[in-house]
Amino acid sequence: MKTSFWLGLFSIAAIAALAWLTHQPETARATLPSATVTAQVLPDVFPATPDAASLYTDAGFHEAEAGLSPSARAGREIWFKATAGNARFHTYTFQQRVTALIDWFGVLRGDARDTRFRTWGLINDPGCCTPGSAGCPAKSYEETYGFDWCPGDEALLKFVGKPGYRDPACDFKDASTAASDPDGHKQGREVSCNLAFGTSTGALGFRKFPNPRFDAAAWKQVNGRLGTWEGYNRKLSDDPARSDFKVRKLADASIEPPFLIGTACASCHVAFNPARPPADPEHPKWENLSGLVGNQYIRVSEILISGMPHDDLLWQIFAHARPGTSDTSAIPNDQVNNAGTINALINTAQRPTFAGEKVNRWRKVAACPAGAKESTCWCEPGKPGKCWEKSIKSETVHHILKGGGDSIGALGAIQRVYFNIGSCAEQCWVNHLTDLRQLDPQARNFGQTPFDIGQCRRDCPNFRAVEDRLHNILDFFLTAPEGHAVDLVEARANQRGAPYAQAELVSDLERDFGKDAVSRGQQVFVANCARCHASGKPPFEAVDFRALDGKTGLRADWLGNDVPIPVTEVGTYRCRSLHSNHMRGHVWEQFANEDYHARKTVSGLIEPHDGGRGYYRNVSLLNLWAHAPFLHNNSVGPELCGWGGDKANPYELYRSSYVDTSQPGNPPLAKDKQPACWAYDPSVDGRFKLYVASMRDLLNPAERIPKATKVDQDIVLDIGPRIFDGKEEKRLVGFTVRVPAGATAGNVGNFRHKDFIVDLVRAKLKPKELEARLATMLPAAEARKLADEMQTIGRAIVTDPDRLVEVVKEARARTPALWQVYSSCSAEIENDGHRFGEDLSDADKNALIAFLATL
Amino acid sequence: MNARTILLAAALVLSASGCDKLDDWFGSKPDIAFAPYGDDYASKPDFAQVEYEHPIPLQELARITPKYLAGLNQEELDQLYARLSSGPIPDGPFDGEIVFPRGSSGKLRVAEIIGGLKGLGVNFKGRMLETAGEALWKGKVFYRDQKVLRNRIQDLAVLRPVIGPGDIPKIDVDGRDAWLLFPAKLYCGQSLIDSRRESIIIDYAFTDEIRGYREKPDFLAGRRGLKVRDEIRMVRPGLYLGRAYMDHAFILNFVLVNKDVDKAGRAEFETGQIRDDCWSGTQKRVLAAR
Repeated sequence: MKTSFWLGLFSIAAIAALAWLTHQPETARATLPSATVTAQVLPDVFPATPDAASLYTDAGFHEAEAGLSPSARAGREIWFKATAGNARFHTYTFQQRVTALIDWFGVLRGDARDTRFRTWGLINDPGCCTPGSAGCPAKSYEETYGFDWCPGDEALLKFVGKPGYRDPACDFKDASTAASDPDGHKQGREVSCNLAFGTSTGALGFRKFPNPRFDAAAWKQVNGRLGTWEGYNRKLSDDPARSDFKVRKLADASIEPPFLIGTACASCHVAFNPARPPADPEHPKWENLSGLVGNQYIRVSEILISGMPHDDLLWQIFAHARPGTSDTSAIPNDQVNNAGTINALINTAQRPTFAGEKVNRWRKVAACPAGAKESTCWCEPGKPGKCWEKSIKSETVHHILKGGGDSIGALGAIQRVYFNIGSCAEQCWVNHLTDLRQLDPQARNFGQTPFDIGQCRRDCPNFRAVEDRLHNILDFFLTAPEGHAVDLVEARANQRGAPYAQAELVSDLERDFGKDAVSRGQQVFVANCARCHASGKPPFEAVDFRALDGKTGLRADWLGNDVPIPVTEVGTYRCRSLHSNHMRGHVWEQFANEDYHARKTVSGLIEPHDGGRGYYRNVSLLNLWAHAPFLHNNSVGPELCGWGGDKANPYELYRSSYVDTSQPGNPPLAKDKQPACWAYDPSVDGRFKLYVASMRDLLNPAERIPKATKVDQDIVLDIGPRIFDGKEEKRLVGFTVRVPAGATAGNVGNFRHKDFIVDLVRAKLKPKELEARLATMLPAAEARKLADEMQTIGRAIVTDPDRLVEVVKEARARTPALWQVYSSCSAEIENDGHRFGEDLSDADKNALIAFLATL
Repeated sequence: MNARTILLAAALVLSASGCDKLDDWFGSKPDIAFAPYGDDYASKPDFAQVEYEHPIPLQELARITPKYLAGLNQEELDQLYARLSSGPIPDGPFDGEIVFPRGSSGKLRVAEIIGGLKGLGVNFKGRMLETAGEALWKGKVFYRDQKVLRNRIQDLAVLRPVIGPGDIPKIDVDGRDAWLLFPAKLYCGQSLIDSRRESIIIDYAFTDEIRGYREKPDFLAGRRGLKVRDEIRMVRPGLYLGRAYMDHAFILNFVLVNKDVDKAGRAEFETGQIRDDCWSGTQKRVLAAR
């Protein structure tokens, strides 16, 4: 019984240990700018706003296709609308398997259309309307189940609660296949229905599908009427003393909502065209939008966890991404705090490529060699001549993602985006993910296993539907206007409604930043920045960074060489670089090439960092004027917020991350010392103002106020059954673990609780084995000390489990190696590093700001 | 209610009944292949490949017995479960049997973790718990039209302190009397072990919304208690393989059997006519030997 008790407590400790964290104050400061772009003045390809009669149709979307090639047009439509079947994932799988609840009604409810941008950073679909408003085909929310009415809903709404919906993607107008494709691939494309468009929810990129299992009578029982989800997303109790206070009816998976919600790539990538911002960000027109600019405002982490209470462990550790950043490894969780910006996908034709890399991937072929195994060559049944063969070849590829992990070619990287947003989740990748509750190292989902591209192609038709059209998407990327940079000079011309020449821009910049600032800025750039932030080769002194490429018409220089450099060199918040999903044996292994897997190990990092980890790419500075704040996590520059930062406003999701590094544990900075957040302002002037402030922050690292996202409410984990007598709830057995507000959110999420729990058990049952394991990571003396410490921790937890968090914190203070072994990343200050340029004179800093604004 | 009572109640909630009568009715051991695997999690084969390379012929599924299932280790059970689909949501009473997770050594997995003499002790205690559970839990009753399920619990005086006073609805199955306790919701949902197709979910989270709920002892399975969630897939009509989770952590396997349903559905099953009530995924499920 005693042993069982130990094991039981250790298991419970696993859950609780997710919560402890610690503060290893690091000296704050730091930085590094992130990408941005430049471009030429674009022709006015957008037609006039559609007339009122056609406002609520898809015409506006299609009118913006003017001038695109058929292939780019097809790619654009896929980018904006295709969910590739991920609606199941976002409605059932994520909630039930990953156990994070999404309050889709809270995010997409039609009556909040006018504040959707401020709250969630979502971009309203100009083709949709509020039921009951003038000209809107729907007269009340009862017809639309509380959502906006959108084009295509006249058909879709008839199938809520019924089978037989014919997806609009079935009518997708396919473009030609790639010329190099074998005939079998040209003739045998997967049916377009499997692109799965559904209709818009009212927020661009978020798509809805009728739920055939919907039961109107059951829905009314829960919600009172059809036009709301307020019974479904309600809290079960208003009494904080009840455990139901933390539970929402959303947790009842027996309830079938009227819609399944899917996401297209546009959900994160569409935003306002910097050169044509909307007069009212809540009500943009198609001419104001770009599908490739990257949404700098979206709070995608908060959206994906919107159904959880704010004092829940999941909310506190995952809802930490700044607007415009996304923790793309949160779902295939590698336990690394990982939020990164949604990049602008512009001037891709000029983006550096890397020749001679060894790429192990599937390639289209017309037939398989006789006797070939299916694991190396496979032909799709019923599709003659549509085969793929897998092998290692030397190829020229892009480096994509912050550390260049996606490296098997641009098409492979595009396809992986679909998995990242949930496509083929059930068939191909959820079974390969870590389950945070799985503590048995022999059981599936204790850790990640690799996604198998060949298996996914075979078993998931949505994979094939996208794969067969990837070159269309790439063509869209390569095409004006959405795939091209837009310069400040063009934006100001549009803003003024009058010609505005480059010379005028230079003159205006020199008025603000000093005489000859632009030309001097170029010299400063060449001397200090170009080695990383130019795509050409030195010498740079004679380079015209605004020169156009004769073939593409784009700015020839991409303003970044895309070369991965050790994170220790740039010095920025290193957690993202320690992302492990592309390592061998991990979920995205097959999307990284052999060169990535063979990268030299970076020295000077205390956490595990082998297998390709520990690098950041040198990013592009194209259109930097439009893409502040900076760094991979948007941490350098003012903090942004939707509603002005008022915490009393329930729709304000901003949490200050300014901390006081002069105090132990880096507590939040006193309120009166915290700089105010800047409200979203996508106007030309707003972007420029933000750019200047962010550049000053970048170039003056000593003046940066350190940032570290903190747990802003106590996380309370009540372990043990509770009985309710009708008046009062009593816990029968168990204990409570409390992680106090002020703990660093990233550190909580980075704690590898599974390894910790397994080792606690080892410490009790097989101490010599534990010591030997620790000795593979630590010097022998430290390993012995930590092994002893683990025994001490185990005994203390058994004695008083309520003190779990304190026990571990105390142990860490005694034995710092504890953190080294059990944390994926112990960095705390998020805006540190990239100190390049701090020694420049103020005049040169101004000059650099002026020069970069022209690119 | 003290901790010992809670443990007793937990055994009761999580059990899968002791039907020693569920033995081998169906003849010889089925010939079912399993993909190779090792001890480490990373060595466990992908379910999609297991299914693709080792499809289970219908006639082998027809030969599976509760005894056969009880003799499999956990990895074998997992590989088998992944090759099943939901089948129809059952209706009526089913007898139940518990199968605790066993490692490749044949011992209970928890005993393997502990190892040595202590592990042997835990293995022994675990088997006692299995037996105790089987004595308490007789099976489940599905109310398919209401999308509700109730558990059949042996009406023993020793359980009265757990259950409290008052009348409890009863059911008589084959002359065996049992209380009906621990109501749960029944729906198609996400399997926590194999995402490729849905399972039939038996969810106790909102048990308090179900007619006939009584706080003692039903709360124990619910969201304020042990947070139990079961999932089942059909071996064939009348025989289902299930998995029980507490707060999403896997605890044990169970088997549900109804001989009458099995007999009645046999012909339809053998001709491949049994439908799935839940989403069966897009990977083609191959039932006939290739």
